[in-house]
Amino acid sequence: MDYIPILVLVLSFVGLLSIGTPVAWSISISSVLTMLVSIPALPAFTTVSQRMGTGLDSFALLAIPFFILSGQLMNKGGIAHRLIAFAKTLVGSLPGGLALINVIGAMLMGAIAGSAMASASAMGSILGPEMEKEGYSKEFGAAVNITSATTGLIIPPSNVLIVYSLASGGVSIAALFLAGYIPGIITGLFLMLVAMFWAKKKKYKLGKRSSLKDVFKTFIDAVPSLFLLIIVIGGIVTGIFTATEASAIAVLYTLILGFAYKEISFKTLPQILLDSASTTAVVMLLIGASMSMSWVMSFENIPQSISASLLAISDNPIIILLIINLILLFVGIFMDMTPAVLIFTPIFLPVVEGLGMDPIQFGIIMVLNLCIGLCTPPVGSVLFVGVGVAETTIQKVMKPLLPLFLAMVVALFLVTYFPQLTLWLPSVFNL
Amino acid sequence: FSCSDTSDVETIKLAHSLDVNHSVHKAMVKMGEDLAEISGGKMQLEIYPSQQLGTERECIELLQIGSLDMTKVSVGVMENFAPRMKVFGLPYLFRDRAHAFEVLDGPIGQELLDEGTKYWIKGMCYYDAGSRSFYTKDKPINSPEDLKGLKIRVMESVTAMDMVKSLGGSPTPISWGELYTSLQQGVVDGAENNPPSFYLSRHYEVCKYYSLDEHTVLPDVLIIGTHVWDRLSEQQKKWLQQAVDQSVSYQRELWAEAEKEALEEVQKAGVTVVRPDKSSFANDVEGVYEAYSKDDDMKDLINRIKNN
Amino acid sequence: MRKKIDKILGNLLIVIMGVMVVNVIWQVFTRFVVGTPSSFTDELARYLMIWLGILGAAYVSGRNMHVAIDVLPQKASNKTQKYLKLVVYVLIILFALFAMVIGGCRLVYITYVLDQQSPALQIPLAFVYLAIPVSGLLIIYYKISDIINIE
Ligand code: NA
Ligand code: NA
Repeated sequence: MDYIPILVLVLSFVGLLSIGTPVAWSISISSVLTMLVSIPALPAFTTVSQRMGTGLDSFALLAIPFFILSGQLMNKGGIAHRLIAFAKTLVGSLPGGLALINVIGAMLMGAIAGSAMASASAMGSILGPEMEKEGYSKEFGAAVNITSATTGLIIPPSNVLIVYSLASGGVSIAALFLAGYIPGIITGLFLMLVAMFWAKKKKYKLGKRSSLKDVFKTFIDAVPSLFLLIIVIGGIVTGIFTATEASAIAVLYTLILGFAYKEISFKTLPQILLDSASTTAVVMLLIGASMSMSWVMSFENIPQSISASLLAISDNPIIILLIINLILLFVGIFMDMTPAVLIFTPIFLPVVEGLGMDPIQFGIIMVLNLCIGLCTPPVGSVLFVGVGVAETTIQKVMKPLLPLFLAMVVALFLVTYFPQLTLWLPSVFNL
Repeated sequence: FSCSDTSDVETIKLAHSLDVNHSVHKAMVKMGEDLAEISGGKMQLEIYPSQQLGTERECIELLQIGSLDMTKVSVGVMENFAPRMKVFGLPYLFRDRAHAFEVLDGPIGQELLDEGTKYWIKGMCYYDAGSRSFYTKDKPINSPEDLKGLKIRVMESVTAMDMVKSLGGSPTPISWGELYTSLQQGVVDGAENNPPSFYLSRHYEVCKYYSLDEHTVLPDVLIIGTHVWDRLSEQQKKWLQQAVDQSVSYQRELWAEAEKEALEEVQKAGVTVVRPDKSSFANDVEGVYEAYSKDDDMKDLINRIKNN
Repeated sequence: MRKKIDKILGNLLIVIMGVMVVNVIWQVFTRFVVGTPSSFTDELARYLMIWLGILGAAYVSGRNMHVAIDVLPQKASNKTQKYLKLVVYVLIILFALFAMVIGGCRLVYITYVLDQQSPALQIPLAFVYLAIPVSGLLIIYYKISDIINIE
């Protein structure tokens, strides 16, 4: 086989990244350079353009801007506040109560929004100050916030699972969504366990026990917010609308709620739309660029050669899965989630499918794995947000992060070696 | 760069969107073998299956752009590039399978293949894709009445939408990839396609009625970019065309087998296959033809096909 | 000048985003309330998405929001950092010029002269792809202005 295209692709990509070229541009430029190896210049330039355009030409992708928008509306529209208040009455009096609230709140937020960054900034800015008041260290609060925010990417709806569906050539989004519940909840529970032990060890103060009346009152307050969960998942499962349409309905619903709570007005709406549009554009450019890259990889048969050499290492599925997980963990340290999913799905999916793994399970494994990467330096968008809202530094937050990473890795291995955790729920709904 | 590139082997890159088990892919593999043999190793074919390089529409564009050499698309997709290909979307255009083959293999078929050259693409042959029929979730379609009020998934093509509308259904364009879940969740009540696609897409797991009304015959077309075609020598063109022609008859055999197998398999899986009286359907689609009553060119083409 | 372009581009993005939401809600509405599913909403949504993503890329470039991995540059001296930044800007400009403007214009030209229409809306596909060269030009403008103001 011809090694020139692989060399051009890898060397130019790494070179561009290391001098600080934004990831999307690094992907685009190295793709065009690789194309130039075997395609004349003008057709190569035109092909890159076409891939950028058509890479976005998918109805399923539309859910991404919509879930980003509804996430923003939830933050600004008072929905997040009401969810946290409810979570607080539930677990506020347990050891590490506020940390537990953070995890549960993040999971609830995650269950109605598609993005982890929205959740990290909402939880961090609301809960952070309260934790400090109760004597928690800033860093511990930030670490819990950062890791628990990623559960929202596994618990549906999830933008990154939509990206995976696209990259895998059309695995059912509804099935992926259902597959995410159990792993997401398991991860959340593990994080809560670690947080409880940590809080006990550090002898943090216990919160007040809430009366049943308070629980009831905050619950009633949170009902309209929780109802969104039923609309989104219920609508998808019963076939009233597709996952994409559900995201638009979520926008409509959060918008109405935001107006009803008088926290959003026609004056503030354009800025919210613009913020969501720019966040979307960052993701979309990555997707368009990756489409050029995966095109040129297919054109040069690169995934086939990589998977062939990977399978040559061992034919033991457990070892290969371990290797893939380690590669992904390593990738996640340096790369953000969306490009990683877009680049590595076409490479690894044929390998694991060859081992008999369901593409749905692999999607969850991949996302869970890269969630850890979102919380590690140097590239970790959720880490940046979490550290930013807590006004601390990455170095200080590393120590409390380590045991939480361990919890996530344990969850990852459970999901990797026990397919029932992901496949059972979709099978119940015949997906 | 590498040694093989410096020799004078002409490699034709061919991309398509079908699975490697599909009859068209198998025929292409044979075409590659034949091509290498006929040309004494001077020409070879590199095949990219499963939509690796893009959807059907995008692959046509890649031919025009010049980064891909050949592709296979449904004539339904060709409509947007060579408008007269629309004619194949008309329901009950052909009397039967034999009539369809006669037209496709004859001068009219060739005329339509050549039509693309002004759009920088040249048709090389037709592959059989059978006839399309309705499959539905809740009840069989024995007459157009049964379609009333049903949401039927159609391809994004004006003719296909007109056809379903004239039969009384609500045409709903949904992408092929989203269709399985859409059927399952009841976003649409049914769809239409040929037996192998119905089988391979596993839509039979959701739709338990397959009504063989055989409304349209939409063949697949193998096309080459004129960029490449014009670059080839007369000798190379001959080799390629010969390999293509040999693949056509092979694919028709494979298709017939695949169709039979698909119908057997879906019935084994519990699908009720019905064969409704086609005349009631044929009468209802007159409206689709009326859309072309003012277009003399299309009217003429339709008449020539009908009288073939 | 730059502020004005930001403003226009921003407003355009707001409109596209708003229309996208209304469009998809309309799609659900026509299917479930009206009963006759609309035939164009899916296609319109996808084309708006392309415009949002590609034009948004220019907007985001203007604000330097694209994620980069700046481990190496952070360790370098001030002078080297400035130099690396310049190299990155020039590379982006070259990509925008060759792939987005030249490649994009050729794509628009091909779809235009070859008369490719979209299936449902029957609009020339050239309009859809036009977003690419337009965005390329804007990115070149932003990056040149970044180079001039490099600190
Ligand atoms: Na989520
Ligand atoms: Na990371």
